[in-house]
Amino acid sequence: MIELSKGQTEILELPLDRRIWLEGMAGGGKTTVAVRRVLHLLASGVPAESILIFVPQRSLAQPYIRALRGLTSHRGGQVSIHTIGSLSLQMVETFWFLIAGQAGFKHPQDLPNFLSLELVQYFMTRAIEPLVDKRDYFSSVRIDRPRLYSQIVDNMNKAALVGFPISEIGSRLKSALASGVEQAHIFDDAQTCAMAFRQYCLKHNLLDFSLQLEVFRAHVWAAPAARRYLRGRYRHLIVDGLEEDNPASQEFLKDLLESCQSALILYDRDAGFRRFLGADPDSARRLRERCEVKATLEDSFVMGPEVSALGAALAGQLGVTVSVESEADPRRALITVAHRYHPEMVDWVAEQAAFLARERGVPPNEIVILAPFLSDALRFGLVDGLERRGIPWRTHRPSRALRDEPAARTLLTLARLAHPQWGLPPTDFDVVLALMAAIDGLDLVRAKLLTEMLYREDRLLQFAEVHSTAMQERITFDLGERYDRLANWLNRYIDGGRADAIDIFFRRIFGGLLSRAGFGFHDDIDAGNISMNLVDSAREFRWALDFMSRYDAQIDLGLDYVKMVDRGVIANSYLRDWIADVEESVLIAPAYTFLLNNRPVDYQFWLNIGSEGWSRRLYQPLTHPHVLSRGWPPGAVWSEDDEQAMNRLTLGRLLLALTRRCRKAVYLGYSELSESGYEPRGLLLETIQGLLRRLAREEQHV
Amino acid sequence: MFKPRPKQAEVLAYRRGYMGVAAAPGSGKTATLSYLAAQLLAETELQDGQEILIVTLVNSAVTNFTRQVNEYIKSDGLLPGYGYRVRTLHGLANDIVRGRPTAAGLDDQFIIVDERESNGILADAVEAWVRRDAESPDEYLAPDYARKGYYRTQKWTEALTETARNFIKQAKDDLLTPADLRDLLAGCQGELPLAEICAEIYADYDRALAYRGAVDFQDLIRLALKALREEPDYLASLQRKWVFILEDEAQDSSRLQEEILRALAGEGGNWARVGDPNQAIFETFTTADPKYLRAFIASDGVDGRELPNSGRSTRSIQTLANHLIDWSLAHPQRAIRERAPLSRPYIQPTPPGDPQPNPPDNPEAVVLVAEAYSATKEAMMVVESCKRWLAENPGGTAAILVARNTRGSEIVKFLRQAGLPYVENLNSSSSTRAVVGALARLLAYLADPKSAAKLAEVYRVWRRDERDDPAAVAEIKSMAEALKRVRQVEDLVAPRFSDWLDDAITQAEGDERYDGLRHFRGRVGAWLRAAEMPIDQLILTIAGDIFRDVGDIATAHIVALYLARLADTHPLTRLPEFAAELFDIADNRRRFVGLGDDEGQFDPDAHKGMVTVTTLHKAKGLEWDRVYLISINNYDFPSADANDSFIGEKWFIRDELNLSAEALAQLAALGSGRPYQEGAASLDARIDYAAERLRLLYVGITRARKALTITWNTGRGASTEATPLVALRTFWEEERRKEAVNEPQR
Repeated sequence: MIELSKGQTEILELPLDRRIWLEGMAGGGKTTVAVRRVLHLLASGVPAESILIFVPQRSLAQPYIRALRGLTSHRGGQVSIHTIGSLSLQMVETFWFLIAGQAGFKHPQDLPNFLSLELVQYFMTRAIEPLVDKRDYFSSVRIDRPRLYSQIVDNMNKAALVGFPISEIGSRLKSALASGVEQAHIFDDAQTCAMAFRQYCLKHNLLDFSLQLEVFRAHVWAAPAARRYLRGRYRHLIVDGLEEDNPASQEFLKDLLESCQSALILYDRDAGFRRFLGADPDSARRLRERCEVKATLEDSFVMGPEVSALGAALAGQLGVTVSVESEADPRRALITVAHRYHPEMVDWVAEQAAFLARERGVPPNEIVILAPFLSDALRFGLVDGLERRGIPWRTHRPSRALRDEPAARTLLTLARLAHPQWGLPPTDFDVVLALMAAIDGLDLVRAKLLTEMLYREDRLLQFAEVHSTAMQERITFDLGERYDRLANWLNRYIDGGRADAIDIFFRRIFGGLLSRAGFGFHDDIDAGNISMNLVDSAREFRWALDFMSRYDAQIDLGLDYVKMVDRGVIANSYLRDWIADVEESVLIAPAYTFLLNNRPVDYQFWLNIGSEGWSRRLYQPLTHPHVLSRGWPPGAVWSEDDEQAMNRLTLGRLLLALTRRCRKAVYLGYSELSESGYEPRGLLLETIQGLLRRLAREEQHV
Repeated sequence: MFKPRPKQAEVLAYRRGYMGVAAAPGSGKTATLSYLAAQLLAETELQDGQEILIVTLVNSAVTNFTRQVNEYIKSDGLLPGYGYRVRTLHGLANDIVRGRPTAAGLDDQFIIVDERESNGILADAVEAWVRRDAESPDEYLAPDYARKGYYRTQKWTEALTETARNFIKQAKDDLLTPADLRDLLAGCQGELPLAEICAEIYADYDRALAYRGAVDFQDLIRLALKALREEPDYLASLQRKWVFILEDEAQDSSRLQEEILRALAGEGGNWARVGDPNQAIFETFTTADPKYLRAFIASDGVDGRELPNSGRSTRSIQTLANHLIDWSLAHPQRAIRERAPLSRPYIQPTPPGDPQPNPPDNPEAVVLVAEAYSATKEAMMVVESCKRWLAENPGGTAAILVARNTRGSEIVKFLRQAGLPYVENLNSSSSTRAVVGALARLLAYLADPKSAAKLAEVYRVWRRDERDDPAAVAEIKSMAEALKRVRQVEDLVAPRFSDWLDDAITQAEGDERYDGLRHFRGRVGAWLRAAEMPIDQLILTIAGDIFRDVGDIATAHIVALYLARLADTHPLTRLPEFAAELFDIADNRRRFVGLGDDEGQFDPDAHKGMVTVTTLHKAKGLEWDRVYLISINNYDFPSADANDSFIGEKWFIRDELNLSAEALAQLAALGSGRPYQEGAASLDARIDYAAERLRLLYVGITRARKALTITWNTGRGASTEATPLVALRTFWEEERRKEAVNEPQR
């Protein structure tokens, strides 16, 4: 176990009836103290079930889960770990029959049905598409339907997280526009659609995230019985990353805090990089006054002096001043070579990472490669470069369409093969790709040969049907044998005449075949995770629709699911995607994803530093993360100055957050021409150039 | 190091305010502007985030410019690219819109449809309209054709498509939405049938774009201007950002584009525009017009400059071009004369001691052929002449310039028959087609990875950068032949128990060629594994491996987006279909606008000893030792004379109406409230067209360095020598005669 500093020990040993506010910068050892405090509580005989660990996102609970995993000798059930989402879901479910009627649900006697992100998209389409078409809504908006709907959902979630009625969405957004902007009317359309979807949900006992939160806040938490229950149960509160949480969570925690016997609330100064997801570091500070003890941990256990200076200098360049500054030359923590072309840069990054791992003995786990967005091509280039140099890697990219994941596509192709009754046979080329992915060691050439010879009338024939031995030798017999196992599995399934529910089919073919030695998903953690995500997603779909069939008879399960995925629905986020692998490997991820894992490393690579994606919010015509935040004064116009100030603040905080999770150095991946052949000129590049110029000038003057 | 001549030095003295420069062809305006930018960058104390904005038509200016400012950047330990941004006007509009997409109802991921897709969407809208209204042709078909089914459906639809395209373009330039037009039409008194039809098609077209989350090129410009107008604080921030705006090829900026730059420069801002009004040759029915740049240079508060000296052509060729200016100023047709198609300054030779002296003069190398050839005879004569000339000048460059793509394709056939080496730059540029072709070959292989022949093609693509090295070419050829004979491709690209390479190496011990093959196999293996990626990502991955050139990479990116859209709209499309689609483009069956499609990407000097076939439009900015201008007759170069015919006036449309011109006139009437008079616009369009054709001729003449030949043909039998050619020929014969008279006395 890590030895604690004096400051950490003092906090750990505070009496068990204190509410403690602990703030400081990332890397200061706050989580370490909190984990130890949990263990300390348990060791002191506090019943585990009276402890609530509250985090903004499940991935941030990993250190607690790991610490609790091996623990056997403690009293009283399990420690609860919750986000506002999981807690509100559990509470709404528990007190459903008490509150469903008053909350306006049409079938209060039936069970509630909680919608995942995928299902929200599915039902949103069902609920409002006819309306949008009929009334010609959003005629001046040029985005495709899935993205249009996701913005309406986003508005509703923001309303619930910030705590204003969804009926105010349109007026809030409109009032932030400068006068004379033609687009104002689309917010009326967005408002009408949000209301229509809300009505649809109430009518069908569906709860999207916004409704779930609203029901929790307005009905469950307001009901004396439920309140008594929660307050009675959770006597000890640990909150990690309060600054990354939203006002709804903060309000709830403020209330709960009053009745807690002890609490430890961790607050990261200069953070709040999840603003685009509703994080509100300013409103979080209001909990500080409710704590008897206010403590700080100021020194970084992570950063070397150069990295510390780099973080401070970059942030300072953006007008974000930080309390801790270092005298060291920030350029010593910055390594870069400018490239003309993007692929050259990608190759350089792979080379440098390999050099660190091989020549310098840096464990691959201590290297991360970050970009604002991780396109397939960038990911492929990096993975290919690392693999050629024998460096293990892992990637993580949340919020992608399932149909863009090769593993998911493979399973869907196999599902089509296994269900001829759908009348959706896969194309020849899809079969080629599925065979290549499913059979370990099978290349595209042999997969193509197999498909041409053996995919007949929507069915895979036996390897023995290959016309000549010579041809069989070309395929090679061990691959032929694996192919046969796959074909036999599918044919037995078809001939057995049993049509499993689609999620069960996925699980059976994954567990019974694809994850076995000799098949493509064996030892492939990414593919395994995606497969499990697909299983979960299909199961949720089945459950939701099973339930829906009571109100709506026109639903066909497996087929509807496959069609939904084909439409490009954005995938749910699953915790398994976030859990760091045991295996030592270089992480390739979007920058924010890395931050939400909250794990410091020795070396970071920042790629595509010219990209606007480092600083800019996502522009979406129907929503606005800042105007729909708690701090935004109603009626104020969102101006260009606000926009630029926000970009600078966002980037400044991001760079601080990154450098505070970096021990030794940052490598910059820069190419004069971006992936698309343009010269990028984003704010991060501008900031780095500005810093380099300033330092050079200062040197000249010395 | 750039050594400016006196007139260039005047331009380089610029430090602030508005400046307009009229530059003659070959006067080094792009070089001067690049040098000015480097100078400004070195001298200006830029604040963080500030830049010099350089707007140009060509991507290659980027490279020139980067080289020149590199020295300055290095000295401060900065990364390349500091302090400036080079953009084409569309690229700039793209930056502006992407900076604030929501005001235009867009999100970050909006797409820009290319010409093909835009045409496809429009064709659907027009067809739907024609089906809805079967009576629509009655109003405009000529009596002889009004009852013929083919004309009522096919030809009418074609004509209407072109008319609607021009109408929509103009409406967008006028910032009119379909809803605006609906309101205007509702309040309009007179009959405006074409405007009514086109407005409805426009509404359909726009709805289809919106549904795809897409904009077209006109939208990009329109929306950029809209963002600047509607969001003054956004404009102010961009004005702070771009402390200088330097604009190249300013004669081709449309009214809207000029407005964007004017807004960005702002009152009291810094804006330097360089261009040649005489080379404004954009297609008719755009709002680009040489008068804008001329007016700018002449206006108060603008520092007007000239760059008349050019070392490109011989004195004789310059004299001929200057005479065309004089002749057009005194044009026999008053209406044309009043448009001033061409204007002074004259082109002047470079002063003595200039680093770019004019080629030695040779009046005999300027030949204007009077004889009336048939189209075939003309082609044969020109090809024959090319053959002779190339034999005498093996390191020289030659070009045959045509007014239309179809004529270009005919010429290519003759060149091929004659066995002359040529390079064609027609529908899409050859560089775009080469990029698309390379990608098509790769996709075709991935779709059929067991094919040795296709793998051999991929090998050629893999070594495409060595095309110009004769030794490498021979080696590539022999290696590709060897690959073609591989019987079991998997033994080469994905060996399991037997390895073709091992066997091959045993046969040819120590042959270092196989090291290259080993590397090649590594890449092919990676591509085979990448085949499961979404198509756009696959293309980007492959492009990263095989392209080095900026324009090529950018074009590959467009291809990627193009195929991704195809995949979106046609979910069953897979590699075989994607490959087929690309082959259509590569084989010139389909038009495709790549990013390499500007003159900057085509370097005539890279094709020594070959004949370039290209259009006059695409020849802009380029130069060859010898130039042939062909088909200079009254069909391609009309002068609004009584017996001239006009491409815009279809034979099956009544009263020689130019439907596009009439539709635009109705649109103008709608906007202004002034009455519409049928036919006037068609006549006016003739004048515009004739004027633009004169500039096109001027551009053609000024492409030649040492030798120029101009010919004409009788077309389908009735065409005559173009009036300006008659004038030039007469002038030149007179000059030669004078010279001959003077010669003996010397």
